[in-house]
Amino acid sequence: MGDGGAGTGSNRSSNKPEWLQQYDLIGKIGEGTYGLVFLARIKSNRSKSIAIKKFKQSKDGDGVSPTAIREIMLLREITHENVVKLVNVHINHADMSLYLAFDYAEHDLYEIIRHHRDKVNQAINQYTVKSLLWQLLNGLNYLHSNWIIHRDLKPSNILVMGEGEEHGVVKIADFGLARIYQAPLKPLSENGVVVTIWYRAPELLLGAKHYTSAVDMWAVGCIFAELLTLKPLFQGAEVKATPNPFQLDQLDKIFKVLGHPTLEKWPSLAHLPHWQQDSQHIQGHKYDNTNLYSVVHLSPKSPAYDLLSKMLEYDPRKRITAAQALEHEYFKIEPQPGRNALIPCQPGETFVNYPTRPVDTTTDFEGTTNMQPPQPVSSGAAVSGGMPGHVSNRSVPRPMNVVNMQRIPHQAMQAYNLTSQAVMPGGMNPGGIPMQRGVPQQQQLRRKDQMGMSGYPQQKSRRI
Amino acid sequence: MSANFWTSSHYKHLLDQEDVDMVNPLDKEKGITLEDFKLIKMHMSNYILKLAQQVKVRQRVVATAVAYMRRVYTRKSMAEYDPRLVAPTCLYLASKAEESTVQARLLVFYIKKLYADDKYRYEIKDILEMEMKILEALNYYLVVYHPYRSLSPFLQDAGLNDLNMTQLTWGLVNDTYKMDLILVHPPHLIALACIYIASVLREKDTTVWFEELRVDMNVVKNISMEILDFYESNRMFTDERINAALQKLSLRP
Repeated sequence: MGDGGAGTGSNRSSNKPEWLQQYDLIGKIGEGTYGLVFLARIKSNRSKSIAIKKFKQSKDGDGVSPTAIREIMLLREITHENVVKLVNVHINHADMSLYLAFDYAEHDLYEIIRHHRDKVNQAINQYTVKSLLWQLLNGLNYLHSNWIIHRDLKPSNILVMGEGEEHGVVKIADFGLARIYQAPLKPLSENGVVVTIWYRAPELLLGAKHYTSAVDMWAVGCIFAELLTLKPLFQGAEVKATPNPFQLDQLDKIFKVLGHPTLEKWPSLAHLPHWQQDSQHIQGHKYDNTNLYSVVHLSPKSPAYDLLSKMLEYDPRKRITAAQALEHEYFKIEPQPGRNALIPCQPGETFVNYPTRPVDTTTDFEGTTNMQPPQPVSSGAAVSGGMPGHVSNRSVPRPMNVVNMQRIPHQAMQAYNLTSQAVMPGGMNPGGIPMQRGVPQQQQLRRKDQMGMSGYPQQKSRRI
Repeated sequence: MSANFWTSSHYKHLLDQEDVDMVNPLDKEKGITLEDFKLIKMHMSNYILKLAQQVKVRQRVVATAVAYMRRVYTRKSMAEYDPRLVAPTCLYLASKAEESTVQARLLVFYIKKLYADDKYRYEIKDILEMEMKILEALNYYLVVYHPYRSLSPFLQDAGLNDLNMTQLTWGLVNDTYKMDLILVHPPHLIALACIYIASVLREKDTTVWFEELRVDMNVVKNISMEILDFYESNRMFTDERINAALQKLSLRP
């Protein structure tokens, strides 16, 4: 931004704004209610990939979405190795759409966990878990020390860089719900925002009116456990109602694992609205002791368990902070965390080749599907016809599955094809994009085959 | 909490007074003087405040909107970016940035209510188009720090946090947005200047307190002088003069 693309927007109503010409569009990699996400390559530096998040003009006639505004606002202020980098903002005056360009990250924790669970059937190695966690905490510590709360940490928002100079580096993404907390923050529910409840801190579930950075640490605890077991730690069934329904099942799932919270351990519990009202008799639910260690298969005496239990401390005031967590013994013992989380330093360790994101090369920047088969293009070659319109196959250093023309019109078939890595909008999140995990039809189909596979439920979609 | 102000884009982009006082060549062509330029910006700050009172948003939204408007005119001409559209649009954008979104149609409704003059009349479509142009003009830097935040900790620390002093200083801070101070000075120094003026007015001895703060008292006093100068000349800012200045913008060169 600042130089180059930003600010040089075209006032002409052309289909090919000037700023678009600096990129080669590869294809669509995700979508959500806000718009679409594309993978593109910078023409002047073809080794560099960019994820472009396109925000549509909102239909209610209210201009640029507040989510986009807040995301830009925060990302413009922050720079950190473990936070996704906003490289450019573009405005297309012709159709009033807004584009955010991010450094592209090939992987995310949602996909990494899914790959281990469903494909390789094997736990993530200790070095990788520790390195991912350390870098996540490192980025979070930076955010918190700048008075920013993320508020929506979950595996799909934690990106990991693919091959290249930053291979295996964690990037926290999706700042659409993040806030600088100069002033007390209103609960998300007041803004009508729906986020997944599995990573939501107990104080919020019990109706706490304001957020603190401790809510992010709870989510990190949940993610840590999920990295260890490949299963979400607290998979509550969400109550769908507005505004802000009481999530009884989610709380029950937490109580069952951590034991019932007590006023003795968590004095401010008494002031939390849902606890006080107790209309669903949560005070009466009785699970005495924590069995967290058996759920995550850790020895209660291990440093990993000690750290996890401090992140999942009920009382937000006693919960470990990101800065404290980084100093925890767990990170000082072998294996020590490293910058490339995906490649262990020790020789002899097996490492996993994670799949690249599936790319739908048939959709152009306007989101229209091009029914013409993509031109076979030799690796790295420029695309004829520019964009939007023709798109190229991706050239990547390792073999990958591209969702090709033959498959796209037959998504139902594809969904049954379990060996395919290219389950289309199944799970990709470049630039940390809130997105629908699959179109309704696919969701149904996938749920079916997942029942046969692992019983793993569909990740909650989210509306902005 | 100042820790992040010093790393913020707001701090990095503070301007010198000379840069703020540069009348855009396109506006100069229309005969806009520096005086006119300041008058129009002051008038638009008032416009933003009036609109904000109608749609009921907090003072911080007003302050952010005014800061946006003033930043826009360090880069863009009034000839191309009509202040009568920029002002409400800045309020619209600020309401989103400060988490209290106001609907465009509501703004359009109150604009019509406030001004019968056709020159102020803009539709939803105009506001939405201008919103994007303003985002560009601001180069997507949207975080603004305000003096309000440091005001009450300072007053408390100085033992001046009674209702009278709080109201007086708060009002003074509000008035600083009729000037370009927010583009030039760190907000905590603006807050201190307001406390300085208030303590002189109310005859409170704050000399020792200010000395212990270890801030550059020259800067604080200079800001205070600017504020007092503004009050001094405020009487001369008549509606006629504002309208005459706006009239120049409408002229074809």
